[in-house]
Amino acid sequence: MRVIHAARARLALLFGRRADDRMDAEIAFHIEMETARLVREEGLGVHEAARRARVAFGGVQQHKETLRDGRGLSWLGGLSLDFKLGARMLVKYPGLTIVAVLGMSVAVAIGAVSFSAIYSVLDAKLPFDAADRIVALKSQDVNTGESDRTQLYDFETWREALPAVQELSAYRTVDRNLITRDRRYESVIVVEMTASGFRVPRVPPLMGRYFDASDEARGAPPVVVIGYDVWQTRFTGSANVIGQTVWLDASAYTIIGVMPQGFAFPINNRVWTPLQLRASTFTHDNAPLVKVFGRLAPGATLSDAQRQLSTISQRLTADYPTTHQHLRPRVVPYTQLLLDSPDLVWLFHLAQLLISMLLVVIGTNVAVLVYARTASRAGEIAVRIALGASRNRVVAQLFVEALVLSTLAAAAGLAIAHVSLQQLSALLSPVAEQVPFWLHFGITPGVVVYVAGLAVLGAAVIGVVPALKATRSRVHANLQLLGSAGAAVRIGRSWTVMVVAQVAVAVVGIPIGTVALRGIRVTVEPRFAASQFIVARLFMDDVGQQPGDSTAAARFVNLRSELARRLAAEPGVTRVVFSSGIPGAESDARYEVEGSTIDGKREAPTNRGFRTNAVEPAFFDAFDIPILMGRGFTAGDASSSSTPVIVNQSFADSYLAGTNPLGRRVRAFKSGQGDGTQWFPWQTIVGVVPDFPALSDTSVAVAPRLYWPLQPNDAHAVAINVRVAGKSLGGMVGRLRELTLAVSPSLRLARLQTFIDNMNDAMAPTQLGLTAVLLVVLSVLFLSTAGMYALMSLMVTRRRREIGIRAALGAGARQVIMSVLARAAAQIGIGVGVGVFVLFLIVAGPHGGKVSLPEFYDLLAVVGLIVVVGLFAAVGPAWRAMQIQPTEALKAE
Amino acid sequence: MSPRSQADVLRGSLDLLVLKTLSLEPTHGWGIGMRIQQMSKGALDVNQGSLYPALQRLETNGLITSEWGTTDNGRRARYYRLTAAGRRELGQELESWRQFAAGLEAVLRAT
Repeated sequence: MRVIHAARARLALLFGRRADDRMDAEIAFHIEMETARLVREEGLGVHEAARRARVAFGGVQQHKETLRDGRGLSWLGGLSLDFKLGARMLVKYPGLTIVAVLGMSVAVAIGAVSFSAIYSVLDAKLPFDAADRIVALKSQDVNTGESDRTQLYDFETWREALPAVQELSAYRTVDRNLITRDRRYESVIVVEMTASGFRVPRVPPLMGRYFDASDEARGAPPVVVIGYDVWQTRFTGSANVIGQTVWLDASAYTIIGVMPQGFAFPINNRVWTPLQLRASTFTHDNAPLVKVFGRLAPGATLSDAQRQLSTISQRLTADYPTTHQHLRPRVVPYTQLLLDSPDLVWLFHLAQLLISMLLVVIGTNVAVLVYARTASRAGEIAVRIALGASRNRVVAQLFVEALVLSTLAAAAGLAIAHVSLQQLSALLSPVAEQVPFWLHFGITPGVVVYVAGLAVLGAAVIGVVPALKATRSRVHANLQLLGSAGAAVRIGRSWTVMVVAQVAVAVVGIPIGTVALRGIRVTVEPRFAASQFIVARLFMDDVGQQPGDSTAAARFVNLRSELARRLAAEPGVTRVVFSSGIPGAESDARYEVEGSTIDGKREAPTNRGFRTNAVEPAFFDAFDIPILMGRGFTAGDASSSSTPVIVNQSFADSYLAGTNPLGRRVRAFKSGQGDGTQWFPWQTIVGVVPDFPALSDTSVAVAPRLYWPLQPNDAHAVAINVRVAGKSLGGMVGRLRELTLAVSPSLRLARLQTFIDNMNDAMAPTQLGLTAVLLVVLSVLFLSTAGMYALMSLMVTRRRREIGIRAALGAGARQVIMSVLARAAAQIGIGVGVGVFVLFLIVAGPHGGKVSLPEFYDLLAVVGLIVVVGLFAAVGPAWRAMQIQPTEALKAE
Repeated sequence: MSPRSQADVLRGSLDLLVLKTLSLEPTHGWGIGMRIQQMSKGALDVNQGSLYPALQRLETNGLITSEWGTTDNGRRARYYRLTAAGRRELGQELESWRQFAAGLEAVLRAT
């Protein structure tokens, strides 16, 4: 209660003007009352009474000043002084400033990037009228976990029986080539949407109109609405665009409208056609899947809509148990479309919290350095306390100093985050059409507030703990020792433990860091012809095609043969080969290796994921990949009943070590699990090729790979690899696009770029992740090394008098130095021991592999570095101590 | 008592006097000064201006609280009132004052 009274009184006094008014009113009242009393009791005239009253009150201005001082404004004055002092400290201890800012900025940047990404998803807002009323309806399959299994049939049922949601709409997306009259084409994701879909966001078209019910009718003339960007880039913003024709693959469409700039509903789209599908033309189990959305009816709530939806769902489950018994339809705010479950929101919050804690880890390291600085100022602090400063006041000062430091780090972190977020956006640009338009990764006001919070948290970690330790009492002792600089520093057992811990962190951290470092390099081995290749995925329009449709497959084979023939006729093109996957971006498949052993023991017949690629016989030759053992594929292999396979060197080394790989067998996983696992027939290894594409010796690039012959009729989509000699690859990229369209508009290319660019793109997410990991490890390492140096120096400085006395008692220089080094060496030794042990636990643990030789050398180099840094930290101050005359040391006693 | 020595004594015990006065009834700043003068039969003449910093200090420490009120003759004035914490504090202060005074008395009586 007392606290509440006090807080209320302080709060009221904080508002200067009101407090001044109150003060003036009280003083005026007082003087009037006194005047009236003097007139009444002493019979004075009013003027004389007023004069006497003022005299009795004393100096009005002086009392007002005293009142103002008591209001906490003086405290503010002191605070600004603390900030100035903090800024001065940055300059006075530049080493600490640089180390702390570098280390903490990394933690802040990682926190800010993840905050921006996570909360752009969680707090997303659509830029539409009453956008919070727009909802998405999705049916999760609780059995398989698939997030949205809404069928066209469900949509049509819902539309009739869901009064809580108006303008219920559906869409699906299809990949098409957008071709204009000038024969230029590009691959786009087309949205087939019900006419009502455009009415949900309430954004009118910029030109023309959007769909109405007549456009949805079967057999209606094909129409298309285009986005602002398409209008600008493909029609140069022409005013006559309405009524013009574009082709989506081979079908012609009439443009009826242009949507305004920035409109990309429902996900991130710019080409819309009417959804002309009717559930009645499909059977119940093969109706196409659609995405459903709408607007809550006036007065209806999300739970009203959910209640109605659940009722319908129960009816559908009763009518169609086979397809619907595991479906759980939900109504969610539209921007939460991507969050599969409400739990995910909490997971996101938790992840952000954990990432924020990274700052505490790094901050603890910085706290060691700050403690060293604070300890060297023990005398100054003792004087302040002796002069009457409270402990809280001193701690507040040290906190503000730390806040200045952490604010600087936060600003640097924000700058790093800004650059990283731009990188992230660039990284997402190839898949821009799949990234919802309402997500914006950038430095928002929310991010700035979060970073400010981190700055305060950082200051608390690096400032308050050392301050409390440094001001814990001992004022008397510190005052006594004021004359001998640094002698007052107390370094207890906890700090010795800290040194050992720092050494251990460095020993564990550096090898992990170097492994990450190696993973980042992308250099393709020059012996392969990779730099002469352009690659792409090649698809055929799949409308109306059923799986296993042999005529469509045959047509695709013919079309791609025709494309290969035309490409081969181009000047500069030396090879054209097809494979199922782009080399380096192959898909994973589960395989069992017959008689595979691990550490001499036979491996249980479980399956493993290998990267696999189906290739044409000329594939290896085209890339200049030599056959190391056995043979390559021949034309007959594809149709052979015992399908041969070729493995790469990593595969042979990892699973067939020490034995002849040729003739060994593998088989692919079919279905089932445990003893009931079904497998495809065994395949025999006929050849071994080097690791390709070998980037460098990274775990990312050196994956065990399996190759088998490309079957002409099972490839629905393939990778096309074109080798070009003596011509710019960039020019060939454009030419490949033209030729593909010329062969057939139903052929589509994706990820068309040079092989090297493709590798870089494939590696980019890993690179970004590894860069973050490496930055964290390096900053922890950097800080722990600096912390060790600071603590060693401090410890040796503390022993200066002891060393002086030893010298006075006749100890030789060598003995003194050795005694100092022995102590330092013992601490480093224990630290290294603990570090190596922890590293061993990590490496030998269930998720580790064997320690390979380069990692051993890493470790050796790290230990060497730590010993050198640690001893260097000890030798310097020891040498200084040696310069002290014994008489001086005794005098100090 | 000379004015100077009186000021010294008052400086230390002003808070105690204010708390004691307010324990009788809530009143405004001028009233507190008058009360102290009356109760001490004119022996203690509080410097009127210095009363207000003391009131502010006691209020920000949560020992007293204040609000605007109206005097008998219709004037608007700030009325101070003891809080529960202030009442406890008064008890403790009185106790320690009495011990101090008794000690002082004992020394002065010694021959």
